[in-house]
Amino acid sequence: VYQVFESVAKKYDVMNDSMTLGIHRVWKDILIHKMNPSPGTLLLDVAGGTGDIAFRFMNYVRSVRQRQLQRKLKHLQDLSWQEIFESYQKDKFNSLGDSQVIVCDINREMLKVGKQKAQHLGYSEGLSWVLGNAEELPFDDDKFDVYTIAFGIRNVTRIDLALQEAYRVLKPGGRFLCLEFSHVSNPVLSRLYDLYSFQVIPVLGEVIAGDWKSYQYLVESIRQFPPQEELKAMIEDAGFFKVDYENLNFGIVAIHSGFKL
Amino acid sequence: LRCQHYPPLRALRASAALRRVSDEHKKEPSTSSSQQQFNSHPAGHQPEQEPQGPRPSYTGQGGQESEDYESEEQLQHRILTAALEFVPEHGWTAEAIAEGAKTLGLSVAAAGMFHSDGSELILHFASECNTKLSELLEQEQKLVQLGEAEKKPTDKFLRDAVEARLRMLIPYIEKWPQALSILLLPRNIPSSLSLLTSMIDDIWHYAGDQSTDFNWYTRRAVLTGIYNTTELVMLQDSSPDFEDTWRFLENRVADAMNMSNTASQVQSTGEAVVQGLMGAAVTVSNAETSSAVR
Repeated sequence: VYQVFESVAKKYDVMNDSMTLGIHRVWKDILIHKMNPSPGTLLLDVAGGTGDIAFRFMNYVRSVRQRQLQRKLKHLQDLSWQEIFESYQKDKFNSLGDSQVIVCDINREMLKVGKQKAQHLGYSEGLSWVLGNAEELPFDDDKFDVYTIAFGIRNVTRIDLALQEAYRVLKPGGRFLCLEFSHVSNPVLSRLYDLYSFQVIPVLGEVIAGDWKSYQYLVESIRQFPPQEELKAMIEDAGFFKVDYENLNFGIVAIHSGFKL
Repeated sequence: LRCQHYPPLRALRASAALRRVSDEHKKEPSTSSSQQQFNSHPAGHQPEQEPQGPRPSYTGQGGQESEDYESEEQLQHRILTAALEFVPEHGWTAEAIAEGAKTLGLSVAAAGMFHSDGSELILHFASECNTKLSELLEQEQKLVQLGEAEKKPTDKFLRDAVEARLRMLIPYIEKWPQALSILLLPRNIPSSLSLLTSMIDDIWHYAGDQSTDFNWYTRRAVLTGIYNTTELVMLQDSSPDFEDTWRFLENRVADAMNMSNTASQVQSTGEAVVQGLMGAAVTVSNAETSSAVR
């Protein structure tokens, strides 16, 4: 798995766009929207290599924070100019509201690409990049508000261990969110999807990234991954409550959610 | 898609936030009401070991899926109760719920358990108010039965009951228009309507009116109209202690009493209901725009 991602790292984003026809951006947006993070949330994004989830999280939190500040300013209309000025000073430098993201990935190359992207796009504060294994996270217990793993859990050898680690590092009340390819139950769509996956994607892999094998592996790993209900049961076994899933695009992708209660 | 049935193994797993119902070492005996228990709960990582009985949830399931632990519903119940404190500041939103979760020592992400528009919070509040009203009316009835109080005439009884119920809105009155507009969303109408009708039924039950002038539906519709219109008047009332509202209420109840004496009773009831609903729609939208401007 490591070598697959080493070779894939630089072309990862381009391949994502071409394979999913750009829809992966929508999927990731939906994930963040579902999370609905409030400022001050501490997010751990596992297998988040190139930082897509992290950047979206920052954008969301920043706009929520802006709205909060606007509302506060409206309330302040009865105060003197001095007081308004002071509160404005205080809040101006807190545009993120203390929210933070730690992006954790097992692959150094992916993290490197992510860091470069962050610099390029102008994300500086509130982001950390940590090398780590989802089956054995280098973090303390009860630390994070939200744990996400987007298109990463199918690459984990022992999914149950990853889920247990997720449970461990989450605070009580914390949320587990998993975005992953899943099982299409509709037979017609399923056949079209299979056709696309096995015929088109490896070819794209060869053409764009010069790597047929990795993308062949990708498609096969998607097929081998447990379907929605089975993953839900595994998440429950790890100790999560209120486990639920939402199918996107008829099951091509599913978002699983659980709470540590 | 919620899993209703858990394998027995799960009951044994130490839960991070769900508290034990039956416990080994008791701390201070909790005699205070369930609303106040969360105040004595220090933010910590260990499951608290305070005695706690099963509490009714407004969904009516009263559920405990595993024997020894508080159910998810009870925890949600506690979070929503804690969140009410933050409503005057944040409105009926997921933010208020997140703040409520924080006071219980939970992560703000726990607000994700609820719908992002805050509708569960409002429904929870309304159901809590209804319960409080029932208890109040029950107590009054007991006093009458024991002979310690006079039985009130129907019009006074209705006035007092509606006033008592509306007074519960006073701490949240600033944000109540927002709550009303959320309750009117098609998705929420079944729940909000059922809460409203059960409250009205309750009031009539304790009013114990045996008069044959009204039939059952008419009584319900009339009181619903009175309640809704009074509520809307209250939202825009700036008189001291809402005296204008109570006077309006008195007049409406008097009208209703007089209505029973006329032959056009059924027709006016229909009119009253329609007027009430039309007034509701118009006034809520006005209230929303005026509060937005404010």
